[in-house]
Amino acid sequence: MKILLVEDNERVSQFVMKGLQEAGHTPDHAANGRDGMFLAASEPYDVIIMDRMLPGGIDGLAIIEVLRKAGKRTPILILSALSEVDDRIRGLRSGGDDYLTKPFAFGELLARIDALHRRAAGVNVEGPLVVGNLHMDPMTRRVTRGDRQITLQPREFKLLEFLMRHADQVVTRTMLLENVWDYHFDPQTNVVDVHISKLRQKIDAEFERPLLRTVRNAGYMVTAAD
Amino acid sequence: MPRMIRSSAVSLALSYTLIGLIALILFAAPLWYAWQGTIREGRAEILQADAQRLGDAYRREGLDGLKIFIDARVRMQIAGDRILLLTDGALRPLAGNLAAWPRVPTAPGNYRITVDMGPSGIQTLLVHVTNLGPNKLLVGRDNRLFAPLEQRFWYGLAGAIAVLFFAALLVGSITRRALLSRINSIRQTVSAIIHGDLKHRLPTHLSDDELNTLSLTINGMLEQIELLVHGVRNVSNSIAHDLRTPLAELRSRLEELALMRPPPEAAFAEIDGAVQDVDRVIRIFDALLRLAEIDAGMRRSGFVTVDVADLAANAVEFYAPAAELKNIKMTLHAAEPSKVGGDPVLLAQALSNLIDNALKYAPENGAITVDVRRHSGGVRIEVGDDGPGIADAEKQKVVERFYRGDASRGTPGVGLGLSLVQAVAKLHGSAVELTDGHPGLRVALVIPLDGDVPGRGP
Repeated sequence: MKILLVEDNERVSQFVMKGLQEAGHTPDHAANGRDGMFLAASEPYDVIIMDRMLPGGIDGLAIIEVLRKAGKRTPILILSALSEVDDRIRGLRSGGDDYLTKPFAFGELLARIDALHRRAAGVNVEGPLVVGNLHMDPMTRRVTRGDRQITLQPREFKLLEFLMRHADQVVTRTMLLENVWDYHFDPQTNVVDVHISKLRQKIDAEFERPLLRTVRNAGYMVTAAD
Repeated sequence: MPRMIRSSAVSLALSYTLIGLIALILFAAPLWYAWQGTIREGRAEILQADAQRLGDAYRREGLDGLKIFIDARVRMQIAGDRILLLTDGALRPLAGNLAAWPRVPTAPGNYRITVDMGPSGIQTLLVHVTNLGPNKLLVGRDNRLFAPLEQRFWYGLAGAIAVLFFAALLVGSITRRALLSRINSIRQTVSAIIHGDLKHRLPTHLSDDELNTLSLTINGMLEQIELLVHGVRNVSNSIAHDLRTPLAELRSRLEELALMRPPPEAAFAEIDGAVQDVDRVIRIFDALLRLAEIDAGMRRSGFVTVDVADLAANAVEFYAPAAELKNIKMTLHAAEPSKVGGDPVLLAQALSNLIDNALKYAPENGAITVDVRRHSGGVRIEVGDDGPGIADAEKQKVVERFYRGDASRGTPGVGLGLSLVQAVAKLHGSAVELTDGHPGLRVALVIPLDGDVPGRGP
């Protein structure tokens, strides 16, 4: 994936660039708003990561607004130390697609970038979801693994659906809270883990190869890969 | 003097004087006018009567008799008191104390004229002119006779004005002095407060005049400020403590890592631990920022209609697996619909915190009840557990920031859960109530239907 990182903090940039490269992406870096604007407008990126407070008093939101007015539809993730709800709302209104506050876990950033890219590509909205031998039909709400039917509670279904839609991607606890429970706050609890382990009981317990895996320091992933 | 005029008390007194003056003039002017009219008429009548008498003498004793009569009268009286002039048809003087016909019409009637009377100076006269056969008779009277009366009128008026003016100045400056002394004492208190001593309060007494009311209000404000400052001080201490612990752990972890250079496996485990330490610090920060945000009342713009019963059902469902782990029976009583005006995210967070707390303190095989019901003017949310409960003495403290009861030692959490619930309740114009569940603790808050909070803007 071709990614542009607009971020002035050297340490954060290095860390993110390295992480993105290791995750198999090809990131470009702009250390100020002018370069960022130039690159964003001229190069075809899959996702742009935009810091808010850039040198010279430029707000990343201004750049996003200009890009959107110029018709650029590239998904943009706003990275900011401004964490208040109003800041978030302003960020998303200016044309950003997602908002992540600093400090952040790299896994969270990576997961969100993948989700943004996936959403922009518009993959698999209606059809059945398949991971290995696990099948889910969102229309009939039927879930099977191999030839066994799995009965899920409505919320468990929603949880699994979200995980399967992001198959082979890391999904963080925050993403699950926001998308499955519509909880836009940190409940300061490990209840998500409990939900996951209940779900794991249902889909993985009696199978040799687990599909729902825990990614350390990041979240979870549904994958059939080894 | 300009300083004095600038004083509000004095300028107020002066403006009252001005109003008094205007009232006085409005009262005196018609009086003066009526009085003048009456006097003029009265004098004209006297002159007419005089002329009448002279006319009778003319008719009785002829022109010569009248001449003698007039001469006799002129000689008798003090010059200038009464003016008499008898002329023939061509206005040649025949008798009297005027040398020539003055500048006055010859037609009969009353006139006002100014005449140079020689030794007694210029006089204003009121004259009456009559025809006696072909002759003309002018009877006049010096206006100055009435002057003392008029003078007394003007003196009286001036005196009244002067008294008014000085009374105003006196009252103004007395008020000013009284006001200044009270304002000065307020100013001294305020500057003591500015210099950091929040203990001071404005002087008040039992009267309910404006200054006292103001002082009482300001004292109320100071009370609130002192409370807040005190709270901030407490919070900073608690932050220092609560952040220091994970930071200290982090530091020693990293230092040990750098010193010992353990094998990769152990090193990675240590690094994971370090990341978790940092996450804990970040969580505390986030919780604090959120509290600050709620306290600032900024989120009132996000108020919409929220179904609390829905939120409660969601939260109960969310925590159900955690309850199952401890074999806790969690029951929800929710009367549908329970719609209020509020912030859905914050209300959900408050509910989640309450259930989370209940789960922490309820024993294995215990029970938690979540109750949502209509309550006078709002919806009452109550979460109860059958845990150890909280002693009455501690009830007030637990909603304070970072306070963690003895029972909570050794459980995870940053001690901000209930204070967030309290902040959310406050934002919605309510407060958290803690009661005994016999056994356990019941925490309740009432969210008003319209979400209106008096005295707090959007």
